[in-house]
Amino acid sequence: MITALLVAIWAGICAIDDIGTQMLRRPLLIAPIVGLIMGDLEAGLYIGATLEVMWMGVGNVGAYSAPDIISGTCIGTALGIASGGTEVAVALAVPTSLLAQQLLILYRSGIVALNPIAERMAETGDFKKIFRINFIPMAIAFLIRAVPTFIAIYFGATVIDTIVAALPANIMGGLNVAGKIIPAVGIGLLMLMMIKKADLWVFLIAGFALAVYLNLSVLAITLISLPLAFLYDLASQSKAVSNSMDDEEGELDL
Amino acid sequence: MENNKITKKDLNRVFWRMQLLNVTNNYESMQAIGFLSSFVPILERLYGDKPKEQKVEAMKRHLKFFNSHVNSDALILGVAAAVEESTTEKEKETVVSVKTGLMGPLAGIGDSVLKFTWLPICGSIGASLALSGNFLGPILMFLLYNIVNVSSKYYGIHMGYEKGISLINGSETNILQRLTNMANIVGLMVVGGLIASSVKMKVALEFGAGENVILLQDLFDKVMPGLLSLLVTVAVYFILKKTNGKHAPLLILGTMIVCILLVTIGVL
Repeated sequence: MITALLVAIWAGICAIDDIGTQMLRRPLLIAPIVGLIMGDLEAGLYIGATLEVMWMGVGNVGAYSAPDIISGTCIGTALGIASGGTEVAVALAVPTSLLAQQLLILYRSGIVALNPIAERMAETGDFKKIFRINFIPMAIAFLIRAVPTFIAIYFGATVIDTIVAALPANIMGGLNVAGKIIPAVGIGLLMLMMIKKADLWVFLIAGFALAVYLNLSVLAITLISLPLAFLYDLASQSKAVSNSMDDEEGELDL
Repeated sequence: MENNKITKKDLNRVFWRMQLLNVTNNYESMQAIGFLSSFVPILERLYGDKPKEQKVEAMKRHLKFFNSHVNSDALILGVAAAVEESTTEKEKETVVSVKTGLMGPLAGIGDSVLKFTWLPICGSIGASLALSGNFLGPILMFLLYNIVNVSSKYYGIHMGYEKGISLINGSETNILQRLTNMANIVGLMVVGGLIASSVKMKVALEFGAGENVILLQDLFDKVMPGLLSLLVTVAVYFILKKTNGKHAPLLILGTMIVCILLVTIGVL
């Protein structure tokens, strides 16, 4: 009961951060705290890292609202730890994120009602008033994350436990395998954003090769990529310059 | 007019207020209310002693549709402050057109540099530490990401104000573009490494009998370690590309079902 309440409050805090300061909002930063609350930091870390990679390229772009990572992470991690498994956490995080996404869309359509209020505040000509309008949506954002999280964890734990116990081994095994393949989706989304030109593929392959043949960590690859990025920029700069030089020479020849 | 000069303190107040800029983001005017609520310290300074009609006019001006990336908003807030300060009451359409002119391109840069390059880099460094049970993973991720996140907002406001309109057609946009390209390269190499470290797929099929069993996985490993990870990721990439990335959750659920089936028949 108390753990469910604490996780729910944490979900609410993350919700306010998500629309405000935007300093947390990622599974790896949310799940370890849930792990601490549930009494298993290790599992929280592991689940957080798995979900982090899985949802890597997922984020709101423009008017498109992405699956609700925060609710999904909180509920998935808490129930996963309660019924003992990363597979459960991953399997739960996806559908809960999708359900909570619908709530978020409702929320962002609902607070359209703030526009006429803001308009009326503007009519008064009082600059001080307008900031107060922020507190209403903050409270709503807190509640739409905290309440479902509480309900899901408080009532879901026993339900999930019985379901997991009753599941045949091949389904759990399959989910386990899936958990290791699903990061490909997050990575694929990132590639979708990053590969703007076909020749950029070579950098992806280079990073992959550094990792599989030299067993380098992500940090090492980042550091190695810096001079390469610098050289690439230099090369494309000088190409632009030499192009314009060529034009001038062409004119001279005439 | 002389004592109506925007001070550093005003800009810092904008910085604190803009922490809540996205709170009122809605489907109709998007970030408009948030922009006004962050911008108020500037208006207070410039319109403090002006008649009420002008105050109302100024507030309504900033309630028009506005949407960008939160970190880019900082720069736009700064530029808008500079433009508000340097225009007379008759030229105020410039403020609106400058805002709308900047919000699109800057949102693109904010998304591609911060959300789709820097955040994944921080996330992968943190995740690779956390997977080995190191609790420094999330802490490192938090610090790395937020140093850039918070300082880009802070310096964005101040830089936007100092450079003002020159930012739009000056060489700065060129530098931002180059920065985006460089971030892109770093991001892609990290993503490449990430494929190797986080996508894992092993085939359980074997051929032959008795002494001469050949594991299919061994064959793949001889060609290239992690070959299947790469192939699966590239396949997923092309599926996503076809569907414009909108059905990622469906793809995740689909992967789960396929994996369960493949495990059941003993392929994986």
